[in-house]
This record gives sequence, structure tokens and C-alpha cells, in this order.
Amino acid sequence: MSTIPKSRLAALAVFLIVLALFPLGANGYILGVLTTAFYFAVFAMSWDLLFGYAGEVNFGPTFLIGLGAYGAGMSNALLGLPVPLAIVVGALAAVAGGVALAIPALRLSGPYLGLITLVSVLLLQQAIVIFAGVTGGEIGLSVPDVLSISSAANYEYALAFMLVSGLILFLISRSSLGMILQAAGQDQVAAAALGFNATRHKILAFAVSALFSGLAGAFLVFYLGTASVSAVVDISIGVRVIIAAVLGGRRTIIGGAIGSVFLIVAGELLRPIGQLSTFVVALIALVVIVLFPDGLLGLLPHRRGA
Amino acid sequence: MLAIQILIDGFAISTLYALGALGFTLIFGVSGVLNLAHGGLMVIAAMIAWYLDTSLGFGPYVGALAGVAVCLVAALVTYGGIVRPIENSRAVPAHERELFVLTATLLWGVMIQESLSYAFTNSPITVQPLIAGTVSILGVRTPINEIFIAAVAWAVMGALWLLVNRTQVGRRLLAASINPRALTLLGFELDRIYLFVWVIYGLLAGIAGVLLGSFLGSGSDYVPGLTGSAFTIVVLGGLGSVSGTLIAAYIVGYIETVTAYLVSPSLREVPALILLVVVIYMRPQGLLGRR
Amino acid sequence: MNTTTTPRLAVSGLHKRFGGLIAVKSLDFNLYPGEILGLIGPNGSGKSTVMQMIMGVVRPTAGQILLDGQDIAGRPTYDIARAGVGIVFQHSRPLRLQTVLENILLGLLPDSLSRLRPPPGAIETARRIGEECGLGEVLDRLPATLPFADLRRMELAKAIARNPSVVLIDEPFAGLTSAEVHDFSALIRRFRDQGRAVMLVDHNVKSIASLADRVLALYLGEKIAEGSSEQVMQDETVRRVYLGGGIETHERPEAEIAAHKVLLQAEDISVFYGKAQALENVSLTVHEGEFVSIVGLNGAGKTSLFNAISGLVPFRGAISWDGAKRAGESAAAIARAGIVQCPETRELFGRLSVAENLELAGQRLPPGERASRLDWLHELFPILRVRGTQESRTLSGGEQQMLAIARSLMLKPRLLILDEPTLGLAPVILGQLSEALSRLRETTDITVLLGEQNVTFALPHADRVYVIEHGRIIWNGTPTRFAAEAGTGYL
Repeated sequence: MSTIPKSRLAALAVFLIVLALFPLGANGYILGVLTTAFYFAVFAMSWDLLFGYAGEVNFGPTFLIGLGAYGAGMSNALLGLPVPLAIVVGALAAVAGGVALAIPALRLSGPYLGLITLVSVLLLQQAIVIFAGVTGGEIGLSVPDVLSISSAANYEYALAFMLVSGLILFLISRSSLGMILQAAGQDQVAAAALGFNATRHKILAFAVSALFSGLAGAFLVFYLGTASVSAVVDISIGVRVIIAAVLGGRRTIIGGAIGSVFLIVAGELLRPIGQLSTFVVALIALVVIVLFPDGLLGLLPHRRGA
Repeated sequence: MLAIQILIDGFAISTLYALGALGFTLIFGVSGVLNLAHGGLMVIAAMIAWYLDTSLGFGPYVGALAGVAVCLVAALVTYGGIVRPIENSRAVPAHERELFVLTATLLWGVMIQESLSYAFTNSPITVQPLIAGTVSILGVRTPINEIFIAAVAWAVMGALWLLVNRTQVGRRLLAASINPRALTLLGFELDRIYLFVWVIYGLLAGIAGVLLGSFLGSGSDYVPGLTGSAFTIVVLGGLGSVSGTLIAAYIVGYIETVTAYLVSPSLREVPALILLVVVIYMRPQGLLGRR
Repeated sequence: MNTTTTPRLAVSGLHKRFGGLIAVKSLDFNLYPGEILGLIGPNGSGKSTVMQMIMGVVRPTAGQILLDGQDIAGRPTYDIARAGVGIVFQHSRPLRLQTVLENILLGLLPDSLSRLRPPPGAIETARRIGEECGLGEVLDRLPATLPFADLRRMELAKAIARNPSVVLIDEPFAGLTSAEVHDFSALIRRFRDQGRAVMLVDHNVKSIASLADRVLALYLGEKIAEGSSEQVMQDETVRRVYLGGGIETHERPEAEIAAHKVLLQAEDISVFYGKAQALENVSLTVHEGEFVSIVGLNGAGKTSLFNAISGLVPFRGAISWDGAKRAGESAAAIARAGIVQCPETRELFGRLSVAENLELAGQRLPPGERASRLDWLHELFPILRVRGTQESRTLSGGEQQMLAIARSLMLKPRLLILDEPTLGLAPVILGQLSEALSRLRETTDITVLLGEQNVTFALPHADRVYVIEHGRIIWNGTPTRFAAEAGTGYL
């Protein structure tokens, strides 16, 4: 709905071309770091659609991500489905999980929704450990197929996936649907008084958020070659997703991508200080959240009218 | 034999769970804050106690006291450095404060975990028992430390009960949980009441952390799990309900012990989580919660 | 108004119970196309509940709400909205990232999960509605940059976007200046002239008198009067509800009061909630030992003034206390310094007993003094001794009010601020409260600042009266002069 100034569009285009040409200059290691960051970016953007627009706080994004990852991984490893089909299965599993989360979400409010989303992650984690026979348990599940063995190709896949997902999520957020979601997220009664069935819209928001989380989880599995609790389900991963979205700037969609890349790249840059890198990244995120609640995008000069 | 063993072990574990979760629920009840750095604070206490005793040779008692003291300081830093700035921030809209407090305390928990792991490695440690030896209860050999732990925990909880129900300041805490605005109208500074409740919380978390460290061991990797179990208990019992927390602690403690002894130690956390999901779906306010 | 036409909205037997409280009691009324109906009543009269039931936000316990013959009672809000009912809430949260035009457009979007673009022509319609509502100049601005009146206009525009046949407006003029009130009235008249049925909900007749074709007054969930604004204002029951019965005065001589030193001096106090101005340059003086009443209807600004004095809301202006200018003390420190407020919401500790509520207030007194003060309070309000161990939330409204006053007195106030103590209380309780205030005034040298809508309750005790209207002090003088000069135009 809103128009973006031409100069910004041009800058964006240049930036994207540079990103796409990155593999020409960078080594495999850097590409690997960025590949992971791009998948994380989709996690964070999906989370932001749910929180920033539908107003629902999901403390367990890894429930959806994990369902997508394990759904895809298991259908490839156990059923022998080809990669594209396995990714679809993973995405569907995540959407089912998203709708299952939406049902309590619409009845609960405040901290209780946060709790149920958090508990859903713990349960998924336990289920994976209990059914180690089919899930690979704590060791993880190796998948026979991968997207590609070339780091450059993996990078391009991830970049393309992030750009397409980001574009779709951004367009949704700026569409009629996004406006209704935002209205429902701000004030459910007021949205209903304007004639909108807020419940249906929120369920849809859960489903869309789950779809992209699940897709990204599934892609990540076929990039890493394994699905493991520590990589896609653990609560700390979910926390990083939330931190990335809030850090980048909530209610912006692209903030999620910026925050994710920032977190992961910062983590890598700080690798020389070894173990303390996580500490420093957490500290930076904490400082930003406490002092600049609007995140990195909020530090930019304000948009029109303001 | 096994039944008595379960009874004894379950009691000790449940009592410690109750003690650990009590501070957590107290903070929520009085000031509406869910502190997700909880596990981190408990582990700090255990690690400091262990380090002073085992590595520096100050003995278990000095170690335990120092552990509790450092935990108290960390709790006050959590309040003064993180929770209060967010609650007073004009840039954070009121309806998003909860998310910001949760995210920020989670990050703080990560920082605690990482710095502990940096300082002391992430391998598990055990705090030396404050009292050595064993005693036989109905034919089950039980470490005296286990009895001591339960006794200390109950003594602390008893003291807390007296504080809340029998003193003027306790009455103010109760009043703050019911109607903070009215307390302001009566001329009491809410800030001081919140500070006070964080001091109590720091002491409770410290004591629980040290005792837990001497019973189940501790380590930086325990941080998320301890936060999680406090969370489970408090939600199960009803956010902010003290008696609910106690009951839930015993339910969770015994379910875990029974599962560990009779089914498999690796599954000990599962039944409590399932119970939690059922409770949240059926009765979101928890067993004894009001809403 | 033409009563021969069929009603657009026909409400019959509408009933709402919240637990043990009956908020609305078998209410009947009609709303016709092309008329403006004012629904008035003091706080707690059930008027908001009626509005929420029509909109489907609250489910009626019993009764019918026929919209063009179709029963909409209990249907979901979005359904009712699409059936042709629009509402303007008093508080609203516009979309922050969208322009005014887009905010209006929101009201035109279909309730569809698959439509990503607005339907053709919707943008033009939104623009037209915006211009109609006087937003033509600001359509491309973000809501955060608009003045309060324009935000309200935007809410009106959103409410009529779906072209509703019934429009409900909650407190249409709250926070607006008189010039803006004029513009809004014209706008609302236009809604009527377009054939819509308009219902205004407000605290009192005065604010909507010139606009409403017909007024319906509610009190404690029941209809007490219906007719033209003039008829309702003259109605005996309405006057009793708002003003009480006959007026008595017992002021002390002005010279005697003026001889005492000034205890509280407020100068040019203004209070804003966001962009809405609740109080405009209010000045006020209270002498030691004086009993000052501030009379004004609900929403006039009494509570905002008291909250500014108590340090509970930010304000512009200066307040001096006991000769010294106050500078940024906390609300609690102000209470400790002797300005004790007993708020209209009473703010008891519901789950604590009566005795515990009083004990908390007496914590800073030495034990001996605490006991004697408690005895004195028990003498003043004997029922509190009887109810000592009972949880305060289980007390009746009158008993709760007595407890709230007693709790404030326990703090040994130098200035007691009583905000609307009669709110929602039965006449017999008012008598008891009034008696207690008389004894307080006769037997102690307490200074009191009383805010009241009920003039009969406020005047007998007062030495001096301020009249507050629309956030401004419009009159002040002695109660005797009030009875002669200001009383007639008050309601």
C-alpha cells in the first residue's frame, strides 16, 4: 500500500546484486555463516508477522521451526521422499502445529499464551528424545539428501529463499490483510466493531507464520544435512529468533532479517574472543532492547510525517 | 523399600523445588515480573559456594553464605539494571512491557550462563554437603545432608510465611499484590516495596541454589532447566499463588521421582510437562490461580 | 422525530447481570432513523453496558435487540458491525504505521482472508469520507502527528465507512474545545440528516442537550426519564439523581476562613491524557481548617485535578503546599506530607479484612496513637467495628465508602481529598455519610477538599464552592451564593 521512494529502491537493488554476487569473492566459511543467517532471518520475519502484526507473543518459534525441520527430515530419511516433497511435508506439519497453537492462543491472554508456546517447545523436545528410534534422538537425524554440496549454491538458495519469503511476508504486512491483522492485534474489540472476524484472521496469521518458519526449518535441514534438537528446537534458538526480531525492530518484518544477520555475523566476528562471544552478543542485544526498544531500524531517521 | 526411597527422595526434591519457585512466584505476585534469569541466579549461588569451598578452601559454610550473598547481588542487578529501566521506559508501550521484561531477563540469563561457563567451565559440579554421614530411615540409607536440606528449606519457607503473615512489611507486600495504587495513596513508596521483595527473592533463590547444588549438583548448563522447572511449577500452581506453588512443587517433585525410579530417569520431565499442557488448556489460571 | 415510522433499532426487555450485580434491568427503547438519541446516566448507571450489548461486545442476559426487525442480541460483534451498526469508542488505537487515509480505508475492507488489495473504488470512497469528516488536509499524515480533535474525526470516519444505519458514539465531546464541539455537532447532525439513527452516550444531559432530539436517562440500570433535553433536565428524578434534594448551607463566615493561612495553592493546573486536555488552567486555594467543595458533573475534570494535587498524574502549573512550592515529590511522599486522597474508586485491598485495611494505613503511627485513632474511627463509623474481620470486597457499597474514608483518616491527613464519595450509593447511605462529615467538621479542625456531582451532598458542609465544567473552573463563591446564582444552570 505504501510507496517506497525510488532512491531507496535503487539502493536496495544495488545491495541485493552485491549480496547475490558475494560467492564470487567470499570463501566457503563466510558463505556458510551467511547461509545460516538467511534462514534465521526467515524465522525472525515469520515471528514478527505474528507478534508485530497479529499481536500474539509466540515464545516458542522453534516449535514451528522444529516441526518443519523434523517433518521434512523424517519424510526424507524414513520415507525416502525427494527433497522438494519432503520440504512440503515439513511445511504442512508446521502449519498444522501453528493452527494447534492458535486455538489456545485465542482463548488465553497475557503471559499464558507465552507459556503454552514455551511448553510446546519443551514437549516437542521431549518427544524427539523419547522417539529416538525414528527421530535420531539427542544425536540428531541425518538426512540422506542435501540441497547442494556447493557452498555457493547453498548460499544462493538461502538468499533466494529469504528474499522471496521476506517479500511475501512484507507484502502481506502492508496489504489489506496486514492492516486488518494489525487492527486486530492492537484491539480485538475495535477490529470486530469495524466488521472483522478477528479470530479467523489471527488463525491465518499463525498459519502463515508457521508456513514460513516450517519451510525455513526444512530448508535448513537439507542445508545442514541433519536435524537436531540443538540446531532447530532448543529454546535458546527460539530466544535468538525473538531477540533478532526485537533487535532489528519489531513491526517492520525486515527488522527480523537485519537483526538475524547482525546477531550471527556479530557472533562470528567475536569468535576470536572464544567463549565470551555469546556473552557479548547477549549484552549488545540487552543494551539495545533496554535503551532503544524500537531496535536497529528505530535508530534510522524517521519516516514520512513524523 | 523402593516406595520409602521414593517417598524420601521425592520429599527432598519437592521441597527444594518449592523453595526455588517460591521466590519466582513472589516476584510475580507482588510486582508482576516473570524473571527468566531465575535459573541463572540459582546456579550462580551454587557455583560461588562450590568455588569458595572446593577451590579456595574457605569451607562449606563460608562458601554457602558467599553463594547466597552473590546471588542476592545478582538479583538486585536484575531488578535495578534490567527490570526497572524497562518498566520506567517511555519508549516501551505498556502492553509490550511483559515481552520486553521476558526477553531482557532471558538475555540476562544467557549472559550469566555464559560468564559462569567461561569462569568455571560448563562441567557439572557438586556443592559439598554441609553435613556429612548417612542415617537409616525405615531401612533406607539416607544422607543426613538430604534431611538437613529439607529442614533448612522448610525453615526458610516458615520464616517467609511468618514475614508475610505476621509482620507489617509482610502486610505491605500482600497489599502491593492486591492493589499497588492504594499503597501509594497510603504513602508507601512502591519502589521500596519492590526492592524489598527482590531482596527476599535473591535470598530465596540463593539458598535454593546452594542446597540444590549439594543435592543434585549444578553447572552452567543447568541454567535453562532450572528456569524451566520453576516456570512449570509456578504456572501449574497458578501464577502468584503461594500455596499453589507449594502444592505444584510437590506434585512435580513426586511425579518426577516416581517416573525416574519406575520408568526411566531420562523421561523424568515428561509427565509434568504433559500435566502442564493439560492444565493450561483446561484451567489456564493454574490449579489455585485467580484470574 | 417521527414516531409513526418503524424503529431502526428496537430494544426490549434488555437485561444484563454480572455475577450478583444487575447492570441493566429490563430496558425498552426505540431508536428511529433520522434521529439523535442521547443516552445519559452517571457512572455505573449501565449506559456503557447498553451500548456494548448493542454492539455485541457484551452478551445480554436476556432481551431483544431488533435491527430492522432482525434480532441481533448476542451475535458476534463483527456480524453486528456488518449488519449496519457503527461505533465510535471513547478510547481508540489507530494504526500507527498507516496514514489517516489508510486508517479510514480499513473500515472499508472486506472481511476476507484472501484479499490483499482494497476493493476497487475503496480508496476514493475513503478519501470522500475523510473529506466529509473534515480531514481533507491531513489524509496523508500519520495519526501520531495529528491533534486530538482530528484523531476523533478519524474515528468518526472509520465508524461510518461501512455506511451503517445505526451509529453509536461514546462521549462524543470528551477532550474537545468548544469550537471543536461546534464542528462535531454539525458533523453528527449530518449523520442524522443522511437518515442514520444516532445514539450518543454521555454522563449528563448538558453536554449533548443542544444536539439530541430525544434523551433517555438511566440510573442503576433502569430508565428514569425519557423525553426532550428540557423535559429530562426538568425531571424530578433526574434532578434528584444528579443534584440530590433541597439545598442546605452551613458555611462559616468568610472573614474567619481568610484569617487562616493558605494550606494548598494550585495555580494554572493543566492536565493532558495523550493529546486530550482534561484540565485547563485551574487555580484553587484551600485555607487551613476550610471545607471546600468542587462541584461538577462526571467527566468535568474533578478527578484529574485531585490526581494532579496528589501527584498521581503529570501536570503543568504550580502547586504550593503549606507555604512551600512543591517540586517533583513522589505521590507517596505527598501522601506522607499530609495530602491524603480518598479516590472515587475507593481502592480498597479487596482480599484483606476491614481491620487489615485500617492497620496498613496506621502502620506509620506509634502503637498507642494507632489504637486511639482506631477507636475514634470506630466511633465515627460504628459499622466498621462490626465488620472488622470481614473481607473488604464483601462489604456493601456504602460500607466500602466508609472504610475508604476511615482508612484515609487513619493517616492523619492535614488535607483530606474526597473524590465523589456518593458514587453509586443509595440515599439512606448518603444521609449516614453526610452525618459523619458533619461530625468530622464540627469536632475536628480537619481541612477537606470534596469533589461532588451531587450538589445537595456537597453544599451543606462547604465553606466555599468551586464549579468545574469542561476542565475549567467557571464559578466560585459561598454555598449561599451558589444556591442563588449558579444552581439553576448547573445541570
